[in-house]
Amino acid sequence: MSEPVWVRRALIAVAVLFLAILILMPAAAVFSEAMRKGFSFYIASIRDPLALSALRLTLLTAAVTLAANLVFGLAASWLIAKFDFPGRSLLLSLIDLPFAVSPVISGLIFILLFGARGWFGPALTDHGIQVVFATPGVILATVFVTFPFIARELIPLMQEQGSEEEEAAVLLGASGWQTFRRVTLPNIRWALAYGVVLANARAMGEFGAVSVVSGHIRGRTNTLPLHVEILYNEYNFSAAFAVASLLMLLAFVTLAVKTALEWRIRAEQRLIEGGS
Amino acid sequence: MTANTAIDARHVSKTFSNYAALRDVSLEVRQGELIALLGPSGSGKTTLLRIIAGLDQPDINPQTTVVVDGDNIAGRPAPQRRVGFVFQHYALFRHMSVFENIAFGLRVRPRKHRLAEPALRKRVNDLLELIQLTRWSSHLPEQLSGGQRQRVALARALAIEPSVLLLDEPFGALDAKVRQDLRKWLRELHQRIPVTTVLVTHDQEEALEVADRVVIMNDGSIEQAGSPDEVFHRPASEFVLKFLGNVNVFRGRQFVRPHELDIDRIGYDDGAIAARIQRIRSAGPLVKVELNGETGEAITVELTHERYRQLAIQADELVFVRIKPRAGSEFFVGGNNHRTPSAEKVLGRL
Repeated sequence: MSEPVWVRRALIAVAVLFLAILILMPAAAVFSEAMRKGFSFYIASIRDPLALSALRLTLLTAAVTLAANLVFGLAASWLIAKFDFPGRSLLLSLIDLPFAVSPVISGLIFILLFGARGWFGPALTDHGIQVVFATPGVILATVFVTFPFIARELIPLMQEQGSEEEEAAVLLGASGWQTFRRVTLPNIRWALAYGVVLANARAMGEFGAVSVVSGHIRGRTNTLPLHVEILYNEYNFSAAFAVASLLMLLAFVTLAVKTALEWRIRAEQRLIEGGS
Repeated sequence: MTANTAIDARHVSKTFSNYAALRDVSLEVRQGELIALLGPSGSGKTTLLRIIAGLDQPDINPQTTVVVDGDNIAGRPAPQRRVGFVFQHYALFRHMSVFENIAFGLRVRPRKHRLAEPALRKRVNDLLELIQLTRWSSHLPEQLSGGQRQRVALARALAIEPSVLLLDEPFGALDAKVRQDLRKWLRELHQRIPVTTVLVTHDQEEALEVADRVVIMNDGSIEQAGSPDEVFHRPASEFVLKFLGNVNVFRGRQFVRPHELDIDRIGYDDGAIAARIQRIRSAGPLVKVELNGETGEAITVELTHERYRQLAIQADELVFVRIKPRAGSEFFVGGNNHRTPSAEKVLGRL
């Protein structure tokens, strides 16, 4: 680096200032606002039945979403990375669709499909199944918004690794399941975990799509982000920030796990480069 | 097909989208034989090997049969055959130790056929000893050299006691010295454990040195199959002749290998042709002399160092090139596969 010292210092100062204004200050604001009315109020806000029910729904949604996307992400990546078939590139583009579509539109899609006047809405209502403005809608919208994360992590890695190890396993007598369990899965485990963490962060924080399909029914279809919005709109700032701080804590955990995983993946990549 | 046929593939064709990788190829390998499928890249040799392994399926044709170990396996999935396969880039399981790599085929067996742990450990340890990597058993593949990895891949394939062993350019990614050693080692291994082996290679030296029989492929078809001696000294086509080593072409029809030519200072009226020496390369077991003939054709002659000293030729000198009397191999006129019976006869025409 040949830049003079003052240039370097100036650049560092700009970066630090930027981080402080855009990231650190808001984060600090969340916690200080949450504590404004004291610690007991903070605890009370979090232990409010409506807040707890929002937390439960958020955790349930995240759990179902991850399970669904784990299966879908693995299947799609396996298919795209290891096989060549007509429509392969179309499938690859479709996986990216949720990234390209605005979350609000993603929510509206499900209203159109399953709403009272939607394509399947009346039929479902006849059978006593409610999708929109109920938990299934919240889960569907979240699954839709987060499904590219895992597949996007896995496809490049699986393509790079090729299918020779799987072929070797099959020729040694392994069944399809044994090949997957003993060869494919261990080779992608860290990238898979990374994708899960990213998808989880998005699933817990998703606002737009969920906001459209949830109907904001307190205690029933409110997720944590929606609950924060309601509290805020009711000028209940301290409670809003207290609940928001829960999401912040979830974000910190995500960040820590993500950093640890990135470290593992880099170690693994060195292993691939050294191994080929 | 006889009782001691290990692999019998008949009328095998394979087309990839619009390109024919194999055109109606038939190949028979006897029990215990080590054959080499030799050919340039794109000649179909690897495709044929993958079809024998069951990794690829041949084009659908009622005449097509692929019999391995007495079982027609055309159209059947890979795991149902006892086939050992070694990949060019090893394809070792990167997250498993050397020991676990070799043990893999034994561990994935259905429970009732699975070896008990002590028997399994003994089998793997025996194999580790065979490949001389006992000390490395708990290392990961990436901690080994290329040659060591390929030995692990071989041991892994042998662990399941395959009825045939298929090697896809196994030494292609290794450097020259290691290749030499492994080649010798493979030959010795095959003598000790005479499992039917098919070796795919594009290296003619490797094929001629290691194999009992060489099958030369070109453009999806088999050009010739025979002992190394046969294919080298009695090539069935111009392609085989050219692929197996340097060859001089005279008048577009006559082919003579560089070591079957001699250089002389005096030209008799015996068909010797005058040529000017362009370059002399004396490094290696033979001295390579590159010349330009009277009609402008490039000629390469290989002399022994003794003959070279005796002649004391130098670059730019005008000399005479002739075919050695009683040169070991036969010559033929290209194109129509018509072979002339002996060197002396061609000599007259040169």
